[in-house]
Amino acid sequence: MASSRRPALPPINKSSCEDHIPNYKDTDHLRKFLTAHGQILSRKRTGYCAQCQKALKQGIKRARHMGLLPFVG
Amino acid sequence: MTLYESMFLLDNAVVRESWNKAKSAVTDTLEKHGAKVRTIRRWDERKLAYSIKNKKRGTFALCYYEMGTENIAPMRREFDLSDRVMRYLILRTDEVPATELELHQAEAAPDFAVPAPPPDDLVEPEMGPIGQGDDEGSPQEIMVPDLDEVGGDDGDRPRGKKNEGKPSTEA
Repeated sequence: MASSRRPALPPINKSSCEDHIPNYKDTDHLRKFLTAHGQILSRKRTGYCAQCQKALKQGIKRARHMGLLPFVG
Repeated sequence: MTLYESMFLLDNAVVRESWNKAKSAVTDTLEKHGAKVRTIRRWDERKLAYSIKNKKRGTFALCYYEMGTENIAPMRREFDLSDRVMRYLILRTDEVPATELELHQAEAAPDFAVPAPPPDDLVEPEMGPIGQGDDEGSPQEIMVPDLDEVGGDDGDRPRGKKNEGKPSTEA
């Protein structure tokens, strides 16, 4: 039986995630980790470790609060 | 005393009057609550990702200051009520970045001029997508005869049903 699962897309972050974790001011960098609808990408897609993904999430949410990134769309 | 980093979203209408006036909206409140302002500078003026208080654009100020933790809550309340500060973010930090000190000094120079914000910062009052697609006159023209027709049909239906029902019961 052939699996119907689509192959996973390559992670965005190819280097070590600890090199640079974008904070809420790096909006251009943070925008890469959002989908077209403004959702935060999963760890599978970002390639971040759990700790860095948490910091990324915090940065995106702070930027959203300040109106720098969208909540939707 | 704890070192804090804060970003403030300021109303462009105030910034257009004077940048120092807009900056004092922040610094006055901070100093009122016992903060020692280390640096404050204009971070950016940009389009917002979503409209806040009917504004499409805003000016961001980035500030580093030392303050007692007990004064944060009353300061937050004051910023919540402020018209000039649309949004704020208060974070604890370990040190003031060297670049911030340089930029703060550059802004304090007498020849530093803040560029005026563009005029289109207000959200235009628009109808929804239905109103945009149709002409303004056409829905009114359609609605009036529709209401009359619907009222006429409703009035006829019960009578017809009653008339139909009566013979069946009699028979």
